[in-house]
Amino acid sequence: MSTATDASDRPALSVRWFLDPYFQLACGALLVTASELLLKRGATSGAPVPASIAWLGVGALSSVWTWLGILTYLLSFASWLYVLRHLLLSLAFGLINVVHVLVPLGAWALLGETISARRWVGIAFVLCGTVLVARTAARAEGEP
Amino acid sequence: MTAAAVLLALLCQLFLVTGQLTLKRGMNATRLLPPPKARVIGSLAGGVGLLAVWFFLWLGLLRDWELSRLFPFEGLNPALVVLGAGLLLKERVSPIGWIGIAMISLGVALVSGS
Repeated sequence: MSTATDASDRPALSVRWFLDPYFQLACGALLVTASELLLKRGATSGAPVPASIAWLGVGALSSVWTWLGILTYLLSFASWLYVLRHLLLSLAFGLINVVHVLVPLGAWALLGETISARRWVGIAFVLCGTVLVARTAARAEGEP
Repeated sequence: MTAAAVLLALLCQLFLVTGQLTLKRGMNATRLLPPPKARVIGSLAGGVGLLAVWFFLWLGLLRDWELSRLFPFEGLNPALVVLGAGLLLKERVSPIGWIGIAMISLGVALVSGS
């Protein structure tokens, strides 16, 4: 496992883009973002449950938003397993951190949460870090 | 956030990191010829189990705190996952990769402190 991707048994051109682990990684990032926003919506609109189990968040299971969140999470999980099969974990996990940019932006745009100046700076750092990790990915791709 | 919530959020991330390492161990095994079925299934089931614990702890935290405040705790994960991948899965990370990981963690710390 010294190279980042598996160069053997490449699929036909027509499906190659879909089976590209980096394409699947991008899909996974968008699905995770959708999932987090849906789960947040579900978690705050669930039914009240006894305090003894409320900390587990099971009350959220009564909300359809939670189930939509679970569905998108499962889809993202399928693409993530595919990514794990083909990319190093240290590479894939670095890249998937782009969700740290997408989720706060989504929470700001869709849930009306506020983002302070300091938080924007943090988001910029995460973005720069992800780009650096992506550069190491490009380098690994370029290796014979 | 209260100290208990911070501790719970940290514990939550440990489940996620060990879950990811276990999943990757399972998917690595699928590339062996022939794939060792017990190791693939065991690792995937173990990974899913650890992630399930993470999931319900996370849902509980989401109930009480803003998503944009909670999510930063996941910023510990890049460093922990890369460390774990290096120690347990023998993956190597380039210096630029480490700088990238450090920036991600720093960014996450900035977001969580605001």
